[in-house]
Amino acid sequence: MIDVTVQHIGKKYRIGPEASTEPLGRPRRPWWRRSEEFWAVRDVSFDVRRGEALGIIGANGAGKSTILKLLAGITTPTVGRIVVHGRLAALLEVGAGFHPELTGRENAYLNGSILGMRRREIAAKLPAIVDFAEVSRFLDVPLKYYSSGMYVRLGFSIAAHLDPDILLIDEVLAVGDLSFQRKCLQRIEELKRAGCTIIFISHDLGAVERLCDRAVLMRRGQTAGTGAPAEMIALYQQIIAEAAAEDFTASRERRAAEITYFEFRGSGRDGRTEFRTGEPLMVRMDWAASEDVGDVIFYVYFYTQDNVLCTQLTSEDGPRVDLRQGKGYVEFTCPELTLPPGIYHVDVGVRKREVARGYSLHWLNHCAVLHVLDGTAVRGTFYTPHTWRIVVDDAPTPLEP
Amino acid sequence: MATLNRTNVTERREVTILAPPSFAPGRVLHDVARLARYADLIYTLSLHRIHVRYKQSFLGLLWAVAQPVCLMAIYTVVFSHVAGMPSEGLPYAIFAYAALLPWIYFSSGLVAATNGIVSNAAFVRKVYFPREILPITYIVAALFDFLIGAIVLAALMWFYGVSVTVTALWALPIMLIAAIFTTGVALVSSATQVWVRDFGIAMPLLLQIWMFASPVVYPLAVVPPAWRGWYVLNPMVGIVENFRRVMLQRQPVDWHSFEISAAIALVLLPLAYMYFKSVDATMADVV
Repeated sequence: MIDVTVQHIGKKYRIGPEASTEPLGRPRRPWWRRSEEFWAVRDVSFDVRRGEALGIIGANGAGKSTILKLLAGITTPTVGRIVVHGRLAALLEVGAGFHPELTGRENAYLNGSILGMRRREIAAKLPAIVDFAEVSRFLDVPLKYYSSGMYVRLGFSIAAHLDPDILLIDEVLAVGDLSFQRKCLQRIEELKRAGCTIIFISHDLGAVERLCDRAVLMRRGQTAGTGAPAEMIALYQQIIAEAAAEDFTASRERRAAEITYFEFRGSGRDGRTEFRTGEPLMVRMDWAASEDVGDVIFYVYFYTQDNVLCTQLTSEDGPRVDLRQGKGYVEFTCPELTLPPGIYHVDVGVRKREVARGYSLHWLNHCAVLHVLDGTAVRGTFYTPHTWRIVVDDAPTPLEP
Repeated sequence: MATLNRTNVTERREVTILAPPSFAPGRVLHDVARLARYADLIYTLSLHRIHVRYKQSFLGLLWAVAQPVCLMAIYTVVFSHVAGMPSEGLPYAIFAYAALLPWIYFSSGLVAATNGIVSNAAFVRKVYFPREILPITYIVAALFDFLIGAIVLAALMWFYGVSVTVTALWALPIMLIAAIFTTGVALVSSATQVWVRDFGIAMPLLLQIWMFASPVVYPLAVVPPAWRGWYVLNPMVGIVENFRRVMLQRQPVDWHSFEISAAIALVLLPLAYMYFKSVDATMADVV
């Protein structure tokens, strides 16, 4: 049985011109030519079966959120159509429609009715909602005095108790602490077991793989593939890596010094892009210099999917490097990879130590992808290499694990 | 942890079709049916509007009567004491107040509702619900202010010794027409406000002109008979004049002006609703 049918949908937006810099400046173009067309989603089709969990993955700007907005009915497609069987609840933003002046209880009613619940239903479910959100003591306190964690918990809890036939979730699990995230995922799994159809959008590929039966990979507003989550995730990584490699080869022009090759290696000599947290990691960078450039620094940056710089490898602290005309390679060695599981974009480059005009010799922005898999247990934002031992008092010798 | 009660899987489910917007007058019935299912949201949101407005203000509900009472005082001084405006044998203060009550219901409801969608943009972009609910809840909240103001009217009538008769019951259909007309205008203005903000800017000026084109501070009788044919085409004439007639003057409604108001209100509402629903589809992209 099919719950959601998406047939060749497309969504066109108009992009306005940049605003004139003067407050009363004259527009540069006549009004009828002042906007450009842009297809956020184009010719996308897929089905979601009853009781299935479908993941939608893709880079930022691939059209995932637009699809969710269309499914939720927030905006309508420009072409194509969507047929939905049953009651659909969308959680695009936790606590959308909360009002800070009202108490937790009043907001539960307000938010619940916005999501399509009746007051009777909300009254019946309020104890469960409050219990799940762990806010029972603050139920009659205005929301403006809530901590952000409480706010998020209440918002998710209301949506999770709607009992919808179909639940849409967009990246909401990125908020809240780890234990609450786990609780949310548990709740989603519970809903799924109870027969609820789920459409899930996330950058957390691990969660998509664990939760979803199928995945749709979006790329530049179109579907790049539909299939088993593991396959789609692999395809996604391949697409990112190919795009990165294209950039790498395309950016060749004459430079005083440049990076000509770059790869990740494990303990062996093999080049690869998948590593586990805690595994040894080596980076090899080949360089070529067409003239003497003096003291230089080689570096590798790691960014998250959201473009946050996580960490770097650099030759900055080492001895002075006098790069002369010729070629060779640089090797970075990490005894243990400290990044938690996820997908990372990588920048590599070489620059002069002295920061002055033209100090950047060669910089490759997002030229590779590092996929980190589950390895050594890690909670938090990075793994700290460590050892441990246990001592039992009065024992003849310490026990070493 | 809550248990889930998902009964038979073969339950009949409603089917929703999401397709490009198209002008289909037949869909209006479908839209109204959908709106009816959100009755609880209209109730909750209207309650919320009233609540939020008075929650942290010191004078609280007194603010609901501050506007009509102050305007009454100003107009009494200016029009009655300075300009010597006739008031059909009634004390001018109560004469003006009885007209201000339905007028302020219309004007303050309309001003709030016009910005109803723009000021709730975060909602509109993040959740789906029939968007007409937003302007409607402001009009319901204005009705609450009207009722508070009506208590003051009762007090004034007692004070000036104006007795109430059974004709006052006419106030109910008159206010129903006022509510329908206000909703009709608000649906058009709130939807248009999403695209061009000029509406909201022009509204206070427009309403000022509109008020002086309605018999609020003067009786209908002072309008020259030659103009009256055109004058009553303003739907607020039939509403304001008749409200005052049935409340204070113990007379039945003036059918001619009431019919015009009712006819305009009843024709406007479905047309306004169709217009609103046709722009509703892409509102979230623009607001």
